Amino acid sequence: MIVNNLFLTPVFLPILAASIILIAKSFLPVKARRFCEYLGIIIGLLLPIVIVLLLYPEVINNGSLSIIIGSYTPKIGILYNFDSLSLVMIVLTNLLTLPAWIYSRSAGPSHSYFTALLLLQSATIAGISMTCDIFNLFVCLEVMGLVAYVLIASKQEKSAVFAAFNYMMYSSSSMVFFLLGSFGLYRLTGSLTYQEITKTLVTLSAKEQNLALICLLLMIVPILLRVAIMPLSGWLINAHSKAPHAVSALLSGILIKIPLFILIRVFSISPMMQNLTLVLSYIGSATALIGVLLALSQSDAKKLLAYHSISQIGYIVTAWSLALHYGIDTTLGAVLLIAALFHAFSHAIFKGLLFLSIGTATDAAGNRDVYKIRGVNYMLRQKGEKFPLTMICFFFGALSIMAIPPFNGFFSKTLLTYYIKPSINYTILNIASIGTIASFIKLSRIFLPSKEMKKPIKELPTAKFPISIHLSLIILASLALLTGIFAKEILKLLENIFISTNLKSIKYSIFFSKSNILKTLYTGLVGIFLFIIATSKYGSKILHKLRSLKADFTDQYVAFAITIALLSWFLLV
Amino acid sequence: MNKRRIFKIFLTTFIISFTILPIILSNSSWPTLARDYLFMHAFDETGASNTVSSIYLGYRLIDTLGETLVLFVAITGTMSILLNLHKQVLQGVETQSSLPPEKRAKNALRTNLVEVVASKLGPIILLFGLYVMLYGHKSPGGGFQGGVILASAIVFLALSTVVKTKLTNSNVLSRIESISFLSLILVTTYVVFFPNGFFRNIATNNSFASATMIIILNIMIGLKVGTSLAVMIIAMMGGQHDY
Amino acid sequence: MIIERILIFLIFITGFIGLISMKNIIKKIIGLNLLSSSIVLLFILEASRIGDEAPFLDDKVQNIVDPIPQALMLTAIVIGVCVTALSLAMAVRLYKTTGSLDITIIKERLENDC
Repeated sequence: MIVNNLFLTPVFLPILAASIILIAKSFLPVKARRFCEYLGIIIGLLLPIVIVLLLYPEVINNGSLSIIIGSYTPKIGILYNFDSLSLVMIVLTNLLTLPAWIYSRSAGPSHSYFTALLLLQSATIAGISMTCDIFNLFVCLEVMGLVAYVLIASKQEKSAVFAAFNYMMYSSSSMVFFLLGSFGLYRLTGSLTYQEITKTLVTLSAKEQNLALICLLLMIVPILLRVAIMPLSGWLINAHSKAPHAVSALLSGILIKIPLFILIRVFSISPMMQNLTLVLSYIGSATALIGVLLALSQSDAKKLLAYHSISQIGYIVTAWSLALHYGIDTTLGAVLLIAALFHAFSHAIFKGLLFLSIGTATDAAGNRDVYKIRGVNYMLRQKGEKFPLTMICFFFGALSIMAIPPFNGFFSKTLLTYYIKPSINYTILNIASIGTIASFIKLSRIFLPSKEMKKPIKELPTAKFPISIHLSLIILASLALLTGIFAKEILKLLENIFISTNLKSIKYSIFFSKSNILKTLYTGLVGIFLFIIATSKYGSKILHKLRSLKADFTDQYVAFAITIALLSWFLLV
Repeated sequence: MNKRRIFKIFLTTFIISFTILPIILSNSSWPTLARDYLFMHAFDETGASNTVSSIYLGYRLIDTLGETLVLFVAITGTMSILLNLHKQVLQGVETQSSLPPEKRAKNALRTNLVEVVASKLGPIILLFGLYVMLYGHKSPGGGFQGGVILASAIVFLALSTVVKTKLTNSNVLSRIESISFLSLILVTTYVVFFPNGFFRNIATNNSFASATMIIILNIMIGLKVGTSLAVMIIAMMGGQHDY
Repeated sequence: MIIERILIFLIFITGFIGLISMKNIIKKIIGLNLLSSSIVLLFILEASRIGDEAPFLDDKVQNIVDPIPQALMLTAIVIGVCVTALSLAMAVRLYKTTGSLDITIIKERLENDC
């Protein structure tokens, strides 16, 4: 009956909305098309959030809801399983697509296919988070990837097309490996559903089990490529920096995190995958550090933000892999998972805010070079912005990523670094935080006054700053502030979802304890010191050398092969 | 091709082949569970004697939906990259799909012979495409295959100057595409949310109208795929499109 | 038995080497096509070993091959075609704006413009 299947609506409603937009394009005049786009966004993005939140009590009480689509036999049909992780993913995706879409109404790609593609992306992300079938995962990952390639290339300028081409070649060839892995698994076990594969895998001989582990690894590495941890992140720099601003916000916010949380399900196919989790945590923290170092050396503002995306995803991967290492059923593992989810959520908000505000600023300045632009406020006022809202929103985002209270970055980074305390990852992540502060001080220099500001402003009579840019920036900035102020309540909610016992496990006193505040001050001071070193003559030379390191197309595949070799070594030996 | 590059390529290929060779050359027997189940039950549960159709339109319908979305996104992307889609052209543009005489001198491959033969072949291929689309439940074929043949038939009709038909008009084609996409989504949603509803009952209880669900899905997929591919190729050929 | 699989492996390696080492982007796209075609062939070949006849349920048919990989490969082929079409469109656009199909020359020209 329909009530049992209600959790499938986040997949079908956005596709329905996209088809309504298509019909409006073919049949109706231009004004009605705009109305249908708004209608499509309400049906496709907001209505699924409402439905999923209505299902929240049932998921808490009964565990997960699952169904085989079409009610066929479990041997052949596709199983969809809706649990708490899927709920969080769907709410995250739909909520964060909204500001990017609002921004794009005036400054981004404005043809109506853009809205349809955003809705299709949200539908496939809902599908990925609920599916329990490896071939369905393949199809949904390919759709998600294709939407990303088309969205990056929609800016029509040649560097964006080249970035999309590079990403497409790299990602599609790795999905061929995914298909090969699923071939091996189907041959060995005769089924495509995760649970059936797990059951059959234990009955196989040792040699076949090793083969199955290699196949599972070949399925995992392409998903790790989409997450962009360090050896596999060659595509992200160009893809996120050359895309239109709304698309960059979407890509950094949503598309690099969803595959990571789906890996939890894929990892659960075989218990031998636990061997990989410790290695992945070291790779994650190395990613965080190297990302920040390379970010410090960049001169292009959007490339700097893209390297910061790599670094922050390193934080999330470290917490996630340690959560799997201790086991999600244990309290420590569940708390680490909550930390990873909360940091993913905060990162999506503040990185979206940063991309949109820096995008607006560099559009007004006409130039992206961080060393050259000064006095952006003046240029924004020339474009018609009366109140320096872009600068304020940029500072909200920068203070969040630098982990300054009361913004959400402070709470998520503290939670994350506190619970990974007894390992070397803790030290590396702290060093990465210092680097983050230094590079954001460097980035905010674009708002320093310049000589031009002494001249009077030539008021263009019809210069009107688009309201949708301000609206999207206000939404994201207020979310950054509110999720920081109400962080305790949000964390309590996540605890309810993921930890099944009644013990309250997160010590809320760690946020404002003396040691934490001292640590924040200390990190800030060393960050300022690092910034001063980095802009001195000796530091600039080192950074210039770092900036000129280049990786070409073949190197990406060398990194891919080395990752497979490294992870298979740790898996089988 | 310096030595470092050759070394990198060799290293990559060596690691990759070392990893995939055991999978390709493994000798474990192929599982027969699925085949046995389908041999017994596929006809009763879906009404199609082509088991491949019963899988991808019955048991694994979501995969087919994903595949249709892949096609839609790829065609949208290809058209926008090739045709500068971001300019909003107001409506009222007439569409021409065949080559006007003044361009013919530059385009040496579009001879009169091609146009006359294409105009004769077009309707035959259209009929064949419709046959492949409609008979997907009994013989090899189905929505995607028939749709591609339909697209090539429409392109043949567009290549000719002799035939004047509305079928090569981009507006008409995009209208058919959007209607078939919407009805495909509606039928899929209905089949998924009401698994024991109208279509399944007809398929299992009524021998006259068995495989109704599969035939309807095939028709819609075929129309969607065919018309969208045709719109893209006609746009590339020079027929204008209103955005 | 085994010679067919070795040949499929050779097609895979050819496609892979073409993808990573050729400088012309059209050759890279052909390499990607070869990669996915080899996997499709592998699925269909291996699935056909357990039966004799095509998977149609007529009266006289007794031993059909496994139809699931065939249905899965329909989807995989369509996805491969879509990726090829999109990448060829991007190649055309890159050629029109930079004047070359060689990936190193395209990168240089794009950097000089930015």
